[in-house]
Amino acid sequence: MRKPILAVLLITVFVALALPQTPKGTITLHEPDSPFVAFNIWVKAGSQNDPQGKEGLAALTANLLSDSSTRQDSYEQILARLYPMAAGYESSVDKEMTVFTGRTHKDNLAAYYELFRNAILSPAFKEEDFRRVKTQTMNYLKQSRRFSNDEELSKELLFREIYRGTPYEHPEEGYVTSVESITLDDVKNFYARYYTRENVVVGVGGGYDRGYPAKVRKDFDTLAAGKPESVPPPNPKPLTGIKVLIVEKNTQATPISFGYPISLLRSDADFFPMMLANSWLGEHRNSVSHLYQVIRERRGMNYGDYTYIEAYPRGYSTQVPPTNVSRRSQIFEVWIRPVAMTDPGTLHNRTLFAFRAALREIELLVKRGLTKEQFETQQTFLKNYIVNFGATLSRRLAYEIDDHFYGIPEPGFLALARKSIDAMDVGRVNDALRKHLQARNLQAVFITADAQGLKEKLVSGVETPITYAGKQSQSVLEEDKIIAAYPIPVKEEDITIIGINEVFER
Amino acid sequence: MKTLAWCGALLLLALSFAPAALTRADRTFPFDFKRMELSNGLRAYLIPTKASGQIAYITIVRTGAREEYEPGRSGFAHFFEHMMFRGTRKYPDYDAVTTRMGAARNASTSSDVTQYYLVASKDSLEQIIDLESDRFMNLEYSEAAFRTEAGAILGEFSQGRANPMLHLYEKLMDTAFDVHTYEHLTIGFEKDVRAMPEGYEYSIAFHKRYYRPENCVILLTGDFDPKHAEQLIRKYYSPWKRGYVPPEIKPEPPQQAPREAIVEFPGQTLPTVSVAYKGPAWSATDRLSVAAEVLGMVAFGPNSRIYRKLVIQDQKVQALTGDFALNRDPGLLLVLAMVNREEDVPAVLREIENTAEEFQEKPCDPKLLNDTRSAMKYGFLMSLETPQGINFALRDFAVFTGGIEAVDEYYKTLDSITPADVQAAAKKFLVDNGRTTVTLLSAREGK
Repeated sequence: MRKPILAVLLITVFVALALPQTPKGTITLHEPDSPFVAFNIWVKAGSQNDPQGKEGLAALTANLLSDSSTRQDSYEQILARLYPMAAGYESSVDKEMTVFTGRTHKDNLAAYYELFRNAILSPAFKEEDFRRVKTQTMNYLKQSRRFSNDEELSKELLFREIYRGTPYEHPEEGYVTSVESITLDDVKNFYARYYTRENVVVGVGGGYDRGYPAKVRKDFDTLAAGKPESVPPPNPKPLTGIKVLIVEKNTQATPISFGYPISLLRSDADFFPMMLANSWLGEHRNSVSHLYQVIRERRGMNYGDYTYIEAYPRGYSTQVPPTNVSRRSQIFEVWIRPVAMTDPGTLHNRTLFAFRAALREIELLVKRGLTKEQFETQQTFLKNYIVNFGATLSRRLAYEIDDHFYGIPEPGFLALARKSIDAMDVGRVNDALRKHLQARNLQAVFITADAQGLKEKLVSGVETPITYAGKQSQSVLEEDKIIAAYPIPVKEEDITIIGINEVFER
Repeated sequence: MKTLAWCGALLLLALSFAPAALTRADRTFPFDFKRMELSNGLRAYLIPTKASGQIAYITIVRTGAREEYEPGRSGFAHFFEHMMFRGTRKYPDYDAVTTRMGAARNASTSSDVTQYYLVASKDSLEQIIDLESDRFMNLEYSEAAFRTEAGAILGEFSQGRANPMLHLYEKLMDTAFDVHTYEHLTIGFEKDVRAMPEGYEYSIAFHKRYYRPENCVILLTGDFDPKHAEQLIRKYYSPWKRGYVPPEIKPEPPQQAPREAIVEFPGQTLPTVSVAYKGPAWSATDRLSVAAEVLGMVAFGPNSRIYRKLVIQDQKVQALTGDFALNRDPGLLLVLAMVNREEDVPAVLREIENTAEEFQEKPCDPKLLNDTRSAMKYGFLMSLETPQGINFALRDFAVFTGGIEAVDEYYKTLDSITPADVQAAAKKFLVDNGRTTVTLLSAREGK
């Protein structure tokens, strides 16, 4: 019985000694059995680096690189060469980071890597490519962002309101007027300033041959030297009372986003206890979420209700947390999926009922804390559920990049989270949630028809009871009375109304 | 301690796995599997892989919006999917049980299928089989719970209305089909969604009719002992009684003339044109069917002439796709183009129709065909990264044929497709009389 263990240990030591040193500025995740190789090139610049008046420049630069000609190949040739591999690469820009990611089957590694590398290292910066990518962006800003996904829009507006006056204020894609003003020269200048060898980290994962990451790093070392200035972390103004932004739009259902800044990062001691508390209150797109149980499961008011302690852009498209959206400032965020509106007499009653229910549940959680039983169930759930966060090679590699951002030591965030949750107790969680959660000082965003009517209902404090299509239990009906009258302390001057066509115009 | 922590990390991180060889002479699907069939007709496929510690379990019900043939019942398959989480006598709280497992679980419905899936630790295998078999056999919910869930569906329906593409698809299907159930989207017609709270009795009948062993296929993939899994499946699913009642779906009569419609979105949208042709049903062996799928990529994919012209050179179009993936019954071969400026819509439509004619007139470039075959194969192989990925990649084979054996047959047929086959598919399907064109525009003020 001892022999195999020894053998394993010996092999481990041998492998550790035999591995070539990872070159500086390189993150590796060697999985020799994998038939795939994944890349994640991290440029330490994001929308916070956009110059004033040119908001959206970081994103447009990255989009142009991942979607255009290189000095070696025209865009048409690139598409033609990628096509038989069923592979591609893409860029993603968040507040603080830009990443280029791609994955290929090992069979195609050499041909694929050449295209991927050239896209980042030798862009052609052709005027016609720029025109195409900019047009796509403008279409998105003027149309899709305003008119295709009210929920995501409400979240983006929430971040904007909370981070006003900081480098996190503007959405990554920029404003209509700012992107309109961006020229190809702006893009070239941004590239020259931030795409430097000291500012780019190379991530390689999967079934590559030994020594391969060093070759990749060597290629990226051909970037010009330069260390761009650092941007101080944002310092959002603390909120006093409930601030409300209402966007007037012709819509059948009202999404609600609300939240406030929290002083909590992955690297903080309270993070894992809060991860558990948040999971109980509102695990993303999961019926485990307590808010989901209260608003959707028991009352059938909408499709789901979730909460977050880290930025979670494009949550509608994923079950697992987005990667490479690491930030030095985070907010606590609640996402109430669109609540279908009722007939004119009771318009907004359901919306405000859902809002009240969410505020109340947060306050109840702070008051009561989690019971030992609730805690233990959530602990078991989360410990196992986290395994899904690192299901693919590309995601595991992306988590490694994020670990470097936050300075999280080995064995890395996912493994540490499991270990930490396993060792946690309910007292620790309740202490943390009492420190970080509240529902009195926050920003809320509604996107709805008849904005004025919503404003009046909010200010008047009138009760907003709801009715059901079927029989409802007595206990729920009793609770409904409390929710319908739950106070929303909001002042008229703290409510702003804007039209949909003004959203993110500038 | 450091070493121990590392071991933990490796365990956590080593979820991916590799098959021994990715391509064999006669096989594209690189994993061995075991097929089992119970006397009640239930089929299960056991696909062990090296995924350390994880399993993915999917139950495929070969029923979707396609089965909604009765008037007023559109959207019901999807609604019923929601009800499957409402518990049984043995397990009144499905969520609580899966929460304790830490399982990632969900379900979805489309035209041809309703699928229920879980990813969990291998230690939960027996519990999963127990839980899943129980709800498929013994689902029980009150009328009050049913009516409450109808509210959630209305929320889902309403949030979808914010997306212009939904308006386009809704109009397209309704225009292209007269009698077949593909005429409605999975979410259903609005009037039917609003009437759903009244459908309790029907929902019980729906379960009895379609949630039967001979209409379901199970795929179990990942880290498990196949012998043990087989015993468990036999133990828990054997009491399930046969009783599937086939739906009375009317076949769509041949289309006699081109059809056209415009749909206005109450908001701003890029003008988007959809040009859809009546296609064949899916088949693993019918060359014309497989050639039709190839045709979509060859003629309208990112390496096609029209893509280069409209998207890259002329920049009239922001995005162009040719989605010719087939359905269980004859469906649509769909070309979609998002047009930058409304005045270019007629030119874009003309270009799409000209492309259809071009592929009827001459065989396609053999290199492009080869590259397309390669793209389709690598697309499939690239999706086989996780147990869940494997289940999803195999799902359609199970939906169309009731098993997964057809996967290798399909790729063999694909290998044999010639430029002449692609031309034959274009001649047969990309014809004016089979065409439906729907254009999506922003609603005009004051109209």
